[in-house]
Amino acid sequence: MLPADRRKEELEKKRAKLAELRAAKEARKSALDASRRDSSATDSTSERRDLDDLVSSLVGDRPVSRNRSRDELGTPSSVSSPLDPHVLREALRAPASETARTEKTPADTPAEKPRPTLVSADFVFFDVPPREKVMYTKEIQTETIDFPNADAVEGPDSRSSPNRDAEPLAAEPPAAKTPEPETPPPEPLTEAERKSILSSETFLNFFDYSSKLVERALNEPYDFMTDYAVNDDRIIDDSAGKNVHRVCSFSDERWTRNRSVADCGWSQKHPELLLAAYSKNHASVTDADGVVLIWNLHLRERPEYIFQSQSDVTVAAFSDFHQNLVIGGTYSGQILIWDMRAKSRPVLQSPLSAAGHTHPVYSMRIIGTQNAHNLLTASTDGLVCSWQLDMLAHPQEALDLVHPSNLKSDGISVTTMAFPYNETTTFWVGTEEGSIYQANRYDRAGSKAGINGLDTYNAHYGMVTGLDFHPLSGPADFSDLFLTSSVDWTVKLWRAKSASKPSMVQQAITPLCSFEDADDYVYDVKWSPTHPSMFASVDGSGRFDIYDLNSEIEVPTVSLTTGTGRALNKLAWDKEGRRTALGSSDGLLYIYDLGEISQPRSDEWTTFQRTLAELESR
Amino acid sequence: MSLQKDGVQKDYADVEATLTRITSHTGVQGIVIATHEGSVIRSTLDNIQTQQISTLVTQLAARGKSVVRDLDPEDDLTFLRIRSKKNEIMVAETKQYLLITIQNPNELQKGWI
Repeated sequence: MLPADRRKEELEKKRAKLAELRAAKEARKSALDASRRDSSATDSTSERRDLDDLVSSLVGDRPVSRNRSRDELGTPSSVSSPLDPHVLREALRAPASETARTEKTPADTPAEKPRPTLVSADFVFFDVPPREKVMYTKEIQTETIDFPNADAVEGPDSRSSPNRDAEPLAAEPPAAKTPEPETPPPEPLTEAERKSILSSETFLNFFDYSSKLVERALNEPYDFMTDYAVNDDRIIDDSAGKNVHRVCSFSDERWTRNRSVADCGWSQKHPELLLAAYSKNHASVTDADGVVLIWNLHLRERPEYIFQSQSDVTVAAFSDFHQNLVIGGTYSGQILIWDMRAKSRPVLQSPLSAAGHTHPVYSMRIIGTQNAHNLLTASTDGLVCSWQLDMLAHPQEALDLVHPSNLKSDGISVTTMAFPYNETTTFWVGTEEGSIYQANRYDRAGSKAGINGLDTYNAHYGMVTGLDFHPLSGPADFSDLFLTSSVDWTVKLWRAKSASKPSMVQQAITPLCSFEDADDYVYDVKWSPTHPSMFASVDGSGRFDIYDLNSEIEVPTVSLTTGTGRALNKLAWDKEGRRTALGSSDGLLYIYDLGEISQPRSDEWTTFQRTLAELESR
Repeated sequence: MSLQKDGVQKDYADVEATLTRITSHTGVQGIVIATHEGSVIRSTLDNIQTQQISTLVTQLAARGKSVVRDLDPEDDLTFLRIRSKKNEIMVAETKQYLLITIQNPNELQKGWI
């Protein structure tokens, strides 16, 4: 270490100087003594002699030469270092000799012993402690590797691109000099080392994590260093922002090819995250059957997370109350829970037993509040189960929905299920036969658990594919309105019969309005969460329709076709009602931004009430 | 219950695919994967540049890391981003390895949707 060396050097120098000084002093002293010797004084016993002389002088004899020598002594003594005790004594002697000299004359009186006036002299003892040098070095975490003999590392490298062992030998000596000479350049890795690192688990995890970070950072289109003062010739097409346009489409070569989107949904907690559940890949046997991918709007090229399961995932959603959990229902009837903090396999799953579902689960909903919530799932055999999310071993409640509609059996085949906003005990189901029923979870005064057989909502001719209740979003309450979509090419708007006033007699309820603009099976319909009179539907020809009932009742306000013409399976609005995710049957997930029309004006609610009144009066 | 390799087979081929995807992003000039000492594991640039970048940037990242640790001993450097007039250097760092990306941010598309 250089500072230590420097210190040593300095110490050495000081020592040398001190030695030098001492030598000089010695020399002077010897010179002095020599001179004293010349004037008849010996070195070794000179002090003694002097004292004797002093005493004798006090007594009587006083050699004159002594005084002279002492005078001679007196002056040099003041020059040399005060630390020398010899000098101290001389100094002491000096005033003594002075006094002795002054009292030279009355030396004749030997009886009177002149008391030498002793003056206390203050000598400042310089006791300087050695100056402590506080050296403060901070080491970096890396170690300096000594640059070994480079030839030994060369090895049998004769391959192309990643091999640069020949070059760095030339590049490294200059590199070693350039920044600081402290760290020698690192030794280049051999090909075998490199390969082993590249396949190691830690490296792969590191690469996964850091490449995601870098891709997210790269995708930032806003350049925060733009200089607005500089004239820019770039033309920005701003009109696209106002209309409905496609933001992006998510797909992954490895995971979404040959699969179709079974379900899609947005995260409540992170508005940029969305998920898509995919069906089985028939082309590949080794891949997992069920795949759920979490996509990030800021990371368009690859999924954030990849979750797998043993059987097709038919329905999936983010858990509203747990920010890291994703819940899925499968074709085999199992309920799975994945955790974003864990690996790609489910952390919890319900067993394949008769206690749970044994048929595909096509609808799922979490109802309740943060502290008391349940997961309700419905499978195609009419079984509706309620689960506690931490205990998937068996459902909390199981309710078999039966309705004597079918001649052969009582069961109904549930394809969709929906709860009105804030309702937890009563729900509506859509069936494969095309009927919609209201069902209660529990027995109540006046109505039993199960299907309410008295009210029938029979207007569809085919399987009901989607059922959605109006979300409570504004000053007026439309939460008894629901929409249904079906394979009979129609979307119908209904007003649900209130559950608090159960009907006594058989009643057939007719829809308020039927939208027949589609030319193909309509696969899904959803209300906008913010705009009271807007909803969207997707159909089998790849069409995406947006209806705004306040402006047009018969036809959609906006109708778009996604490029490929493949069927769109599912539709999900994001939390603000600004974007929609469309899942298509070729595995692509399209994100559309609806622009200005998705934002409701303040009078939309009252306008919608009028529209409804008009519809009812027809 | 838990598989050896997480079910999602990450391997060298995926690494290659991701590297090609990142380099084909608009404006990205190159990627260097290095260890903390500066030894290069993988690079998409030519030799001389790679050597320069790996030695200089790893030292810079080490310096940045020591700064962060000095300010707060429990803290650690995760991401370092240096913007110059012509380039942007992004360094993602973990305990053993660094992923260095050089891009030219002036080629980015403007206009956030």
